[in-house]
Amino acid sequence: MISAELKATILAAINLDDWEIDDDTVASQVPGWDSLTHVNVIAAVEERFGVLFGIPDVVALRKIGDLQRLLDSKLQHKGK
Amino acid sequence: MWNRWLRNAERQPTQDAIIHWRVEGPPIRWTFSELMDAAEICAVNLMENGIMRGEVCALILRHHPWFYPLYLGCVRLGAIPAILAYPNPRLHPDKFRQGLIGMSQRSGLDWILTERDLEPVIQELAGGADNTIKGVHFPLEWDSRHTPGSETITKLNQMHNRISASDPLLLQHSSGTTGLQKPVMLSHLSVQEHIDRYAIALGLDHNDKIASWLPLYHDMGLIAAFHLPLALGIPSIQINPFEWVMAPSLLLDAVSKERATVSWLPNFALDMMADKIREEDLRDINLESWRMIVNCSEPVRYESHQKFRKRFQPYGLMPASLSTCYAMAETTFAVTQSTPETEPAVLAVDRTALSRGKVEISIDERNARICVSSGTPISGCDVRIVDDACRDLPEGMVGEFAIRSASMFDGYRNYPEKTAEVLRDGWYFSGDLGFKYGPDYFVVGRIKDIIIVAGNNIYPEDVEAAISAVSGVLPGRVVAFGQEQSELGTERLCVMVETELTDATGQKRLRMEILKAGMAIDVTIGSIYLVAPRFLIKSSAGKLSRQANKDRIGMIPDLLAQQGRTGL
Repeated sequence: MISAELKATILAAINLDDWEIDDDTVASQVPGWDSLTHVNVIAAVEERFGVLFGIPDVVALRKIGDLQRLLDSKLQHKGK
Repeated sequence: MWNRWLRNAERQPTQDAIIHWRVEGPPIRWTFSELMDAAEICAVNLMENGIMRGEVCALILRHHPWFYPLYLGCVRLGAIPAILAYPNPRLHPDKFRQGLIGMSQRSGLDWILTERDLEPVIQELAGGADNTIKGVHFPLEWDSRHTPGSETITKLNQMHNRISASDPLLLQHSSGTTGLQKPVMLSHLSVQEHIDRYAIALGLDHNDKIASWLPLYHDMGLIAAFHLPLALGIPSIQINPFEWVMAPSLLLDAVSKERATVSWLPNFALDMMADKIREEDLRDINLESWRMIVNCSEPVRYESHQKFRKRFQPYGLMPASLSTCYAMAETTFAVTQSTPETEPAVLAVDRTALSRGKVEISIDERNARICVSSGTPISGCDVRIVDDACRDLPEGMVGEFAIRSASMFDGYRNYPEKTAEVLRDGWYFSGDLGFKYGPDYFVVGRIKDIIIVAGNNIYPEDVEAAISAVSGVLPGRVVAFGQEQSELGTERLCVMVETELTDATGQKRLRMEILKAGMAIDVTIGSIYLVAPRFLIKSSAGKLSRQANKDRIGMIPDLLAQQGRTGL
């Protein structure tokens, strides 16, 4: 389940009003989320949630559900 | 070519040939002798699966350490490898299949070597009446320890011994759909000739080490960053292009850890690395070894060089390491190259004069365009700047680049009419516009309407055909063109579309459908301009004019001009 906040952050990073995003959506299925903008999306998520992803974590992402889980685990660690 | 690789393996068996980079864990290192042994096994497997000398093998594989020996194995057999991009998930499977069928009809594609994941999409093609594909194989599942019998080796040697230097070594395909693909076949001789001459222009020696994230279906990745080091006996580091896109600092990490010396990059990559790499990812990075970063495949932008130098000089980057090259698949690769470890010449020219085809040095900064030299012709290449009637233009006049090269292609495969358009009396007419100033050549634009986004060529015809089929778009009333996107150091793909829809909801829905149609052919449409019927104008030849309509963006009535980056 993709949180409304993560979805809004992603859509804002690629200038998109709305798009259906779920766990299994992959980046390239979202208009405007391509090789040129991918780093912008990741940077926007890091900034919005105050977390920092490691390179191995980022390159292991296959779908948006993976990004949500990675974010959740970072936020959990942050909260401890 | 095989024999040359073999000599390298005999002379320096333990030298790294290919360093297959991984984000986690140490890289996988193929020494020259290991690589050749593995390639021999692949050649045997290919032969035992029915693949013969002269047959075209499409390699559609993701970043994998066994990709390299497989490619070399094809060459050992005398089969012709053609590397194709692994399909992006957004590319519609029908479009992907259509591309392969078109390629088969044009180039006579015989075999597909791919991964099991693509089986459902590809399998039905084999043996179809509309194509020449004989079979699909999954080579990553083959036995990598296969020991062939002496009979098999004899047969392989017999096949190998029939290969001559003028035989085709590889096949490259330009992007574009069925009607627009231009297959470039290069011989063993052309590629070897080119490598030797280009190595001199680069001043390469045995202390060099190439670092690359470039996809190998692109001529810059395949010729410059793969064939060149392999033939010269120097190591290359191969980074997964998909991982580089997600983490551009990977290239710097590889350069720093491996003390790499040379890389090729399209212009947008300089901007991306300068703008997007986080300081946290630059800890312990040392770029002192990086003596050449060759900017190629996209128009060279002065601002991108400045930005890149400024960002990475604190990490040891030498200002003179940024270099430039003008290259194309039709001449194997490089035509001109700037002098190694010397900043390329820069000219501030008057924009107004330049638009009229004349080069005048500008004293007014506000109206100056800073042009960066692409260097001087490499050995074996002659360059002319010509006008519409193919007459030579004097220095300082803008015209088309015409090139004669010792490593010229023989023409587009099975495409004589396209070949005749560009190859005349031994000269290749590139469609690129530029000028000569002193010894240097400068590329400033294009005659042809091709759009270059992040180093990828996009044919406007492909985009127009896809958008034209969208419900709500007036059929055939679409133009696609590129618009400079200076902040990203590349172009943005734009479409101007006639529609009868005038209500905001209908237009919003239409924009979404246009975006989806672009995604189905694997392109990102950056801007959508909706215009009223009969807004688009035609050229004197009766076709919609891309440039003339692009120039009319400012004239689009306010009501219809609500375009955003993705137009939503």
